[in-house]
Amino acid sequence: MDGGGSKERLRLVDLIIPVSAVAYAIYYVASVRDFPFQAQITGLLLGSLVGLLCTIFFIRFTWQARRSGIRIGWADLIGDPAVRSKRVVFIALILLSIFAIPWGGFTLTTFVFLTLSFFLLGVRPLTRVLVTAATAAIAGWLFFIVLLGARFPRGPFELLMSYWI
Amino acid sequence: MDLTSIDTLSALFLHALGYWWIMIPAVLIGIVMGAIPGFAAHNTIIILLPLTLAFDVETALVFMTALYCASHLGGGIPAILLNIPGTGGAAATTLDGYAMTKKGEAAKALMLCFVASVIGGLLSAVVTLFALPVLAKAGYYIHSVEMVVIMLFGLALIAAIAADDMLKGLIAGGFGLLLGSMGADHIYAAPRGTFGFLELFDGVPLVPALVGLFAISEAIVMIEQRFVVTDGSTNKTVSWGETLRNFAFAISRWWQITWTSLLGLLIGILPGAGASIAAFVAYQQSRLYSKNPELYGKGHPDGVVAPEAANNGVTTGTMVPLLAIGVPGGSTAAVMMIVLQYHGFPFGPRLFVESPMLAYGVIVAMAVSYILMLFMIFPMARYMSRVTVVPTDYLVPIIVAFSLVGAFVPRAFIFDMGIAFAFGILGYIARKTGYHVAAILIGIILGPLIERSFMLAMRISNNDPMVMFSSNIGNVLWVCLILTLAVPPLIERRRKRAAAASGATAG
Repeated sequence: MDGGGSKERLRLVDLIIPVSAVAYAIYYVASVRDFPFQAQITGLLLGSLVGLLCTIFFIRFTWQARRSGIRIGWADLIGDPAVRSKRVVFIALILLSIFAIPWGGFTLTTFVFLTLSFFLLGVRPLTRVLVTAATAAIAGWLFFIVLLGARFPRGPFELLMSYWI
Repeated sequence: MDLTSIDTLSALFLHALGYWWIMIPAVLIGIVMGAIPGFAAHNTIIILLPLTLAFDVETALVFMTALYCASHLGGGIPAILLNIPGTGGAAATTLDGYAMTKKGEAAKALMLCFVASVIGGLLSAVVTLFALPVLAKAGYYIHSVEMVVIMLFGLALIAAIAADDMLKGLIAGGFGLLLGSMGADHIYAAPRGTFGFLELFDGVPLVPALVGLFAISEAIVMIEQRFVVTDGSTNKTVSWGETLRNFAFAISRWWQITWTSLLGLLIGILPGAGASIAAFVAYQQSRLYSKNPELYGKGHPDGVVAPEAANNGVTTGTMVPLLAIGVPGGSTAAVMMIVLQYHGFPFGPRLFVESPMLAYGVIVAMAVSYILMLFMIFPMARYMSRVTVVPTDYLVPIIVAFSLVGAFVPRAFIFDMGIAFAFGILGYIARKTGYHVAAILIGIILGPLIERSFMLAMRISNNDPMVMFSSNIGNVLWVCLILTLAVPPLIERRRKRAAAASGATAG
């Protein structure tokens, strides 16, 4: 199964999901406080359920922490130093591509994202990076936009090609 | 039309087979699109709607049904090879399919998936053809109360997959349910927990959540390894002899395929239920009745067979309400209804009276599509496992680039790509800290559906909670659900006692 973690090790990062769940449950319940009862009931039921489960988890965590101690730090979450910077930059690239796609369009943004990502992850030489990224981006454009007519975000490349085709 | 006559059946079969020229490209497109997260069958059909409207009605329906069936088969491919389900219906396949890939059994898992899909789909099509009038009535007996209980069966899977750490699994499922309840409530349309985003008014869109939780998070995890499978040599192309042995092994699970595909067919008939629910329920039930439930989640063949057979059993099931009573059983059936309307054809009982060849032809076309797919699965099962030996340096950026845009497709909102990113980060944290992403997804899928049925039942009964125990079918389902939850721990306890007793005797 995926899931990854092991229950034997007690890490502070294990608290991220329950803390997020409790925070969202509080926000959810607060967002329905002025609504009629029928609109509140789901939030109250689920908020209570999540709150109860997380409280049990926090008690268990505290109990185990007193016996075995807690490992504080982000290494458990973002990996060892060898991949840490790659991972953080890659996540930033994903975010940047989402912001860029309305202006750059599908093909150009995909090409730039793939080029930078391939390079970041260690594909060499640069010619191979560019050829692979261009092939994938153009194949995606041909299949999705030209062949299937999908309404992907259009940018300079798509507009230019629409004049030619 | 007399379906007991061999002449009629062979005429229907040959008539459908005559459309091979449109079925083959539809099947190929369906498999490819099904394998890309975000491009479920109905999205692809909507994209291709101008093309289908240009065809005559029979060609259009055959094209759509073939594409629909194939996309359900295609969804299992990335679920097995990359831990990324192509469709919601394949989410349960990741549990054991990817575990088999990790063990170097990708080719075997693919063959199990393909055989379960093809045989399961074919079987449910044949059953539907003969039992259409009976099956159509099932929809009349299932109301909101029964739907709540059926969906609770799916929800029970959270407990099953969270066996390693039950509390973490339940928190993930509860968090998923809460996220799934985001958006306007079903009675007052009051927005709940939307952070003020109008785009979340209709709730969390499923495809971006699926893309984020599985594709983006898995890609971010994959960065730290050179290949999908750490030992890249274990998933080499298998020989034709090995492929045939895998096929024979898959066929040997015929009983598992049969009952889970029929379960999928029954769930598919219920309007509002779909492949995801069918796959989760089938997986949960398969684990429940297995002699080795502890092997599920660790690469058990039946953990691949059950969800795949069930989500392909759903394909014909969703057609039953459309053909029999004129109510589409799912989003793809709804698109087909539009095409029928466009061409001026009636749907519901009148379709069988006025155009029986067309009405029964849809079901037979599904069966023929599955037969055509049977010939494609051998080369696919043999060569597709090669994907796992592509270095992640190439694979990871391509997965992210194409799945992100898949998140954009259903609603054409850039915002949805942002949702996919947010769920990607959530999924990554969940994977790294031992919370199951499938449990979160089950909550997101089933949360709003359970809420809708529950609120409907409460509304009809003037908020009397006893309405949940007011129908005979519902009560039978409640008993089954309680047994489902209570029996496995009792059996497990008895097994442990027996093992301890035999150990003591041996000692």
